[in-house]
Amino acid sequence: MTRITNRYFKRTFWMWLIFALMMVALTPKTAVWAAFGEDLEKPKPEFTREGDVITAKLIPRAKSTSVMIHFQVSGGRLVDVEGMDFKEAEHPGVDNKDFKSELFMIKIDKVSPGGEVKVSITSDFFSSSTQFWVFNRTSKDPWMNSDVQNQSLPDLVQKLVVSVKDGGPFDSDGTADGRITLVGGPKDSFWGYALGTLFIRFFGIFLVLSILMIGMIVSGKIFQMLDRKKEERGKEIQLQPAAATPDIQPAETVEPELATAICIALHLHFSEQRSTATSYFFTPALSPWARQGRERIMNARTIPTNRGNRLQNR
Amino acid sequence: MTWDQVLELIKSILLTQTGVPNLAIGQVIMILISFFFLYLAVAKEYEPLLLVPIGFGIFLVNFPLAPLMGFTEHGDPELIRAFYKYGVQWEIIPCLIFLGLGAMTDFGPLIANPKTLIIGAGAQIGVFITYCGTLFFGFTLKEAASVAIIGGADGPTTIYLTAMLAPQLLGPNALAAYSYMAMVPLIQPPIMRLMTTPEQRRIKMRQLRPVSAKEKLLFPLIASIFIILLIPAVAPLMGMFMFGNFMRECGVVKRLSDTAQNAMMNIVTILLGLSVGATMQADVFLSWKPMLIFGFGLLDFIICTFGGILTVHIMNLFLKEKMNPLIGSAGVSAVPMAARVSQVEGQKADPDNWLIMHAMGPNLAGVIGSASAAGMFIAMFK
Repeated sequence: MTRITNRYFKRTFWMWLIFALMMVALTPKTAVWAAFGEDLEKPKPEFTREGDVITAKLIPRAKSTSVMIHFQVSGGRLVDVEGMDFKEAEHPGVDNKDFKSELFMIKIDKVSPGGEVKVSITSDFFSSSTQFWVFNRTSKDPWMNSDVQNQSLPDLVQKLVVSVKDGGPFDSDGTADGRITLVGGPKDSFWGYALGTLFIRFFGIFLVLSILMIGMIVSGKIFQMLDRKKEERGKEIQLQPAAATPDIQPAETVEPELATAICIALHLHFSEQRSTATSYFFTPALSPWARQGRERIMNARTIPTNRGNRLQNR
Repeated sequence: MTWDQVLELIKSILLTQTGVPNLAIGQVIMILISFFFLYLAVAKEYEPLLLVPIGFGIFLVNFPLAPLMGFTEHGDPELIRAFYKYGVQWEIIPCLIFLGLGAMTDFGPLIANPKTLIIGAGAQIGVFITYCGTLFFGFTLKEAASVAIIGGADGPTTIYLTAMLAPQLLGPNALAAYSYMAMVPLIQPPIMRLMTTPEQRRIKMRQLRPVSAKEKLLFPLIASIFIILLIPAVAPLMGMFMFGNFMRECGVVKRLSDTAQNAMMNIVTILLGLSVGATMQADVFLSWKPMLIFGFGLLDFIICTFGGILTVHIMNLFLKEKMNPLIGSAGVSAVPMAARVSQVEGQKADPDNWLIMHAMGPNLAGVIGSASAAGMFIAMFK
């Protein structure tokens, strides 16, 4: 076994180890990015309208179930909300992974020229740290934090309120014409989310297993206590005085000759069954492990068959 | 029929109905890779129960035009695709394997020393560190989670989580998990020696208390209550695991328990191995990703071993009766291989030191810990 392991260790394991570690260490990050160029998670929202509210339904990045995001506008009329691929707004310094969905293009009209509207974006998917970043390709710095008002509502729902001025920096058409086009998306720090939740979940495992451990310790103590009580009760029964048991009176008297004959017959019968040759087992290199096992087996045997050769076998 | 027509017919048959002209270099490479894994399984006997069907799955699926992993004209799955769809994609087989594992497992050592559960939790540190590392290398969050769980050294859990979060990585992840599980006796000992002193390796632990049949019977119920209440996402895996164990311990359904341990386990292992192997088609497998997964899997395994031993060192600061830190490495699951490694290393330090039963505690805790980590990931991405 050892020889095979060593041979394998020499020939194969180090080859694998060096190869695998070299792959991780030497692969430049850019090459890796190129290798994973395709974005597997492309959340495409589906929109539905109900009165003044437009709802986007999408499966966000790193989630398996869909979420709803509701859009509403005060101070103007919400015409339409469309999805926009992040590629159209790609810019150095802004990581699309921080956006858990595609971007949204929100179209508003019936705004008083140069006036301000408030866009409310509501979802239970947002957290209190969610921001709303606006993209305006005509601006010098196309990506801007909208300094959104993040309000907490019942049932863990968060409401982001963005103030947009017609013709202002957030308005993509750039003119005060009574119409606003707002492009942007809710943003959460990717690394903040990943590391924060990870930290919590790692300690969550400790917590879960610690609770299980406490449960097992408590139940173990209870079982041990019950076993002890049972054992004590058993001992008590054994120690009860003989007077407690009724005297067994012989049903009839037997002649001594007859009793002797029966005893001899029984003796001969059992002697015949007994092996004449004595068996000895010599195991000089007995390990403590095997010894302990053998002792347990011996103790578990019924008393009449325990021939007491335990000491010889040590 | 003219000769030209005959030749045209032969040409058409050759091009559309035989594999030879359609054989690509990538497929040849994959067939050679399958030979490598079959060699490891057959000649070296490394996890043969899994690597033989996986290797053969890779071998079969890389023949051109072979109707195995595709769909028929009517949209019905072909043979191995059907195994994959109904077994893996529907997440049935990993749960059935957990049922069989539960029926095989004796939780006695863990019940006798529940403190070892903490070691099982500590050994999961590699899972979380690797998760961050893979994110840095550009994996998506779900892919990172599925790669990270390899360090838990639990094949069915890895397959379950990967099928759920990143099915495109199923083949490399499963292969990495089972390969490294087979290499536990090679990977762990140097780390164990590095992290312990000879005195620590010689620590003898008190014999475990006997565990009554009633305790063993109630354990799956108690553990299910705690774990499923706290992490409902892990219910399919843990529920089946504990159900299998309950069948074993109750003693009144010996036939069912026996079937779960033997016949059913063997059947699902064959189907699982073939399905996983069949996901490794040349166009999917031959890229940087599997190489990185193998690299990260190894790193993950090393950190998990490190985490388990470190946890014992930390626990020893607070315990009156010290634990032998060698049992910490068994906190990665890989049952019972990791426990055996602890035993072997312990005996190298002191031939009269018997650690195997003590190491079985953290080993089983590792199974629960890795399943819990998978549950945490599932809940995170729900």
